[in-house]
Amino acid sequence: MEDVQVVAMLVRRCIAGDSAAWEEIVQTYNRRIYNICYRFAGSGDDAQDLTQEVFIKMYRTLVSYDPSKGAFVTWVTTITRNLLVDHFRKTKQDRMTDSMDSASSDHEDAQPLSEQIPDQSAPPDAHVRQREVSETVHQALGKLSPELREAVILRDLQDMDYREIATVLRVPEGTVKSRINRGRAELARLLQRTYRQVM
Amino acid sequence: MPDLTRNGMQCNEFDSLLTDAIDGVLSGAALDRFRAHARACNNCGPLLAEAEAGRTWLKGLTEVEPPASMVANILASTTGVDTQRLWTQARIQPRISWWEHVQASFLEPFWATVRQPRFAMSFGMAFFAISVTLTMLGVKPADIRAIDLRPAAIRHTYYNTQARVIRYFDNVRPVLELNAALRSIKRTPPAEPGPAKQKERKNDTTQQPEQKQDRNYSQAGNQLILASAPAGPTVIDRSNPDRSNLDPSSPDLPVVSVTTYRRFV
Repeated sequence: MEDVQVVAMLVRRCIAGDSAAWEEIVQTYNRRIYNICYRFAGSGDDAQDLTQEVFIKMYRTLVSYDPSKGAFVTWVTTITRNLLVDHFRKTKQDRMTDSMDSASSDHEDAQPLSEQIPDQSAPPDAHVRQREVSETVHQALGKLSPELREAVILRDLQDMDYREIATVLRVPEGTVKSRINRGRAELARLLQRTYRQVM
Repeated sequence: MPDLTRNGMQCNEFDSLLTDAIDGVLSGAALDRFRAHARACNNCGPLLAEAEAGRTWLKGLTEVEPPASMVANILASTTGVDTQRLWTQARIQPRISWWEHVQASFLEPFWATVRQPRFAMSFGMAFFAISVTLTMLGVKPADIRAIDLRPAAIRHTYYNTQARVIRYFDNVRPVLELNAALRSIKRTPPAEPGPAKQKERKNDTTQQPEQKQDRNYSQAGNQLILASAPAGPTVIDRSNPDRSNLDPSSPDLPVVSVTTYRRFV
């Protein structure tokens, strides 16, 4: 996915104070980190703040990166995941007071999940329908437990292999696979239940 | 998940192979045993279907685009040096001259208004009216020189123009007076009796009802009405003396011949 030597060179230049190298790193990884944060946190604003925090932490701890211990993307994803866990813990109390059916995304109008399902009898434009389906899946993803959610995000959305995921999550590979299977099945059950309510 | 054995495979083994099967890396005898277990087990079969459906849903999600300002914010919060260049690139606008600024602020809105058809027509009509007026006054733009724009020259031109207008009306005054005289002669109407009689009738002081007077209008013009007749007028029909109601035994009664000039319109 990444050329290890090129990334190692970039990191060395950053540590040496080359701001252009740092800018290149930010340009390369900001999209990936933002998507992980967005899918995990569910909110665009939170994702932007979290992405910014990830890069700040990365900038401060860049000297601690050891290429021999793993890929740079795994290191970046680990930082991201740790911040997401911290964020989840901080906002846990807030989420407990929320309605279970309330929207958690600011990319969609504040509607319950069941109300965001498109009308099956009169399908609108294909693009709009695809967007609505994506939002529905995104909402359902936010209802998974954080352990299952992070596993399926890293596997199915970020295409990381099981070993990298195990490194990031600091759990055995078998556990990663089990979480991925349970996460996928739980997501399918949630969506099936939601669509059945509409049908 | 209950640890059941079906078709030589336990459910926990099925669970561990589930990701490989969905990823398509499971093959051969292991895949056959896996499929056989999925068909036979009431728990693992649905789990396989749900896991495949969930993976399909997740693969349908597309990447979201981060906000455009995020990179600049990140660089501003980390290095804070090169971000000035990024902010400048994001916010930079082409430098415009003062004339372009004036043109964009004042001239363009003005011309946009002027170019409307109704304003163009109004300006055209105003120009036409001014041209006609100047032509009537004998003012030619070619004759206007800078020297004519002095106050004394303008005053001289004003008096000249005024004198010319007065002379024009003095010249046409006899013609106008002659026309007025002819018109007044033509308007003098001949004497007409009709309206005068109507006026007399309006000034009737006999206090007779209107119907009684009208009753006479039905008589013929050549009928005679006897004065002081006791009951109703005595009518003598000259054209047919036999039909007269005049009593021949009283020849002493005075006979008044009345001729009516009633015009029936």
